[in-house]
Amino acid sequence: MTSLYDRRMVLFSGKGGVGKTTLASAFALSCARRGQRTLLIELNVKDRLTSLFGAVKVSSHISEIEHNLFAVNISPQSAMEEYGLMKLKVKVVYKAVFENRVVQSFLRVVPGLKDLLMLGKSHFHATEKDAAGNYVWDKVVIDAPATGHGIFFLKIPSVITSIIESGPMFSDAKKIEDFLRDPKLTALNLVTLPEEMPVNETLELRETVQRELKIPIGMVVANSVYEPLFEDEQLEWLMGSEHGQFEHGTQGFVDAGKFRAQRVTMQREYLERLESTLSEPFIKVPYYFTERFDFQTISKIADELDAQLDAHERSGRSAS
Amino acid sequence: MAAHTAANQFASHIATRKIVVCVGSGGVGKTTTSAVIALHAALTGRRALVLTIDPAKRLANSLGVDALDNEPARIPLDRFGGEQHGGELWAMMLDMKQSFDQLVERHSPDAKARETILSNKLYKYFSTSLAGTQEYAAAEKLYDIYESGEYDLIVLDTPPTSHALDFLEAPNRLVDAINSRAMQFLYRPTSGLLSVGTNYVIKTLSRFTGGEMLSELGGFLKAFSALFAGFQERAKKVRELMSSDEATFTVVTAPNAGNIDEAIYFQEKLGEDRARVGGFVTNRVHPAWVPRGELGRPSGELARELAGLSAGFDAASPEEQKTFTRTLRQNASDFQVLADLDAEAIERLRERIPRTIPILSVPYFAHDIHSLAGLDHVRRALFETS
Repeated sequence: MTSLYDRRMVLFSGKGGVGKTTLASAFALSCARRGQRTLLIELNVKDRLTSLFGAVKVSSHISEIEHNLFAVNISPQSAMEEYGLMKLKVKVVYKAVFENRVVQSFLRVVPGLKDLLMLGKSHFHATEKDAAGNYVWDKVVIDAPATGHGIFFLKIPSVITSIIESGPMFSDAKKIEDFLRDPKLTALNLVTLPEEMPVNETLELRETVQRELKIPIGMVVANSVYEPLFEDEQLEWLMGSEHGQFEHGTQGFVDAGKFRAQRVTMQREYLERLESTLSEPFIKVPYYFTERFDFQTISKIADELDAQLDAHERSGRSAS
Repeated sequence: MAAHTAANQFASHIATRKIVVCVGSGGVGKTTTSAVIALHAALTGRRALVLTIDPAKRLANSLGVDALDNEPARIPLDRFGGEQHGGELWAMMLDMKQSFDQLVERHSPDAKARETILSNKLYKYFSTSLAGTQEYAAAEKLYDIYESGEYDLIVLDTPPTSHALDFLEAPNRLVDAINSRAMQFLYRPTSGLLSVGTNYVIKTLSRFTGGEMLSELGGFLKAFSALFAGFQERAKKVRELMSSDEATFTVVTAPNAGNIDEAIYFQEKLGEDRARVGGFVTNRVHPAWVPRGELGRPSGELARELAGLSAGFDAASPEEQKTFTRTLRQNASDFQVLADLDAEAIERLRERIPRTIPILSVPYFAHDIHSLAGLDHVRRALFETS
């Protein structure tokens, strides 16, 4: 299997609130640290990368946020303009067509157009070459929309190729579809939390991806995994205590300890469930008790990913 | 505002309404909150229905049934003391495709128009994903159920869009966008609206899409346009209902900066639409387990006070006990960081919204909420005043 670090386009999806952006950012950072020229892409969302990296403002123009690491927030408008100009060559003609009031209102209601434009722009960067014929980017990392919408977003090329059979839109969609389905080029990573609903949804999503989208899955990441903290013996001491034994302050220490222990036990069950179902590399990212999710945290997670993926590859090689 | 006053205020507000719409960004516990509000209504003697659009099975999961579909299903409340409360809990999951097909059937002027739409290739893929269609179908379904008068309370769990207000705006936008005069040239190419310039524009456009795609789109929009008269009328009624005294909005959020910002934004937007926000529900709030001043207690002292904790602890050596209390202290400090952050976020929300709107906090539980018993935990946290 092609290593995750060797694919050109790496996407992250999952249920809302599980940490997709964090994981996409950390993975992109670990690629950059491996010397890959990396482009991290947000898709027309309220920008979060600027605050995560404490960097120059991330906008619809590509900017460098770390050594080797660049970021952009693709908007459908800018994607359309670039695409339009690329095809029409002449700005005046572009303006006449795309800034025409009729066309504008037409484009607003064309179903799936925004998604196609953003996916098309991402694909463009993943295959972009300079004058000398070398790839401009070693890696394109995409913070894809959350489950639900995410499925639709990734499905759009196949929808188009099933509706029409010819024309420029067909060939563009076909190119993207083939690229997304190539396990040497693309990987879709699923981010989840070790909790009931997120795990259920992730397993459902995984099945849909395999059955309908046919996009190769790279890894599954369980985010926010509590470090156990207590030893088995200490756990027995804690759980053996009666409820409300002590005065308020002291009891608080016990209750907080029990809370942690219960969460850890619960998480362990879900991690085991994932582990026994998945065939892809399964990565566990620890919970960070931190005031701000900033560059330091991203940086720690990047190292974590790097080490765990490395271990997976080594064990994969020795097994085969 | 004391917690019990907020709970009272929220409960009595909902008791006077027939529709509760839960809005909020994805992953904040909207579905759970919707179910809890309906459960509470049922336990106070009302006939309540919770309506979700979420195709993930989470509502079914938490209500303890295998699956939900387009027809309301009654949820047994035996564990709450049978019929004593006299209320009923019902739940359904909106099947988007089916609901939209029903809309087409209802609003089509004739059988031929209906067939044209239902057999259109684009319709098959996009009826449920065209911007605003989900929200429109949900709004219309809600209106139908409301009109039927079968329920005392309907709680709607809205789709997790990045713009939660799409629920209010989408119906109109959908109608406006497709019905605009500018659009008509596409599906009425012979209406004489086409100027020479526009003709040129269309030709250039087809260089991008190909003629096939453009004519499919034209067919799709033309077919859709037949439905507008009905859509428009309905959209207007739904909007009126939403800003009437029958309906109220609950903004569901989680105590972190991003979600709180969005919650504030929802409230402002809803206000512009004259829709009433009856309360904010903040889920998964980390409790402060230990009073701040006590977090630094010496491990030896803490160990002595914990005497009698359990047989194993009492039998351990003083060194082992101290190692244990140091870990306990570390753990409590870890959670204090989160409790402080959450408190700060809720404080910010309090400052930014009118004092008259209650904010209710649901603590972060040690277990996931995915059963009727779990929902009841949340219900107590939300509604019980003691």
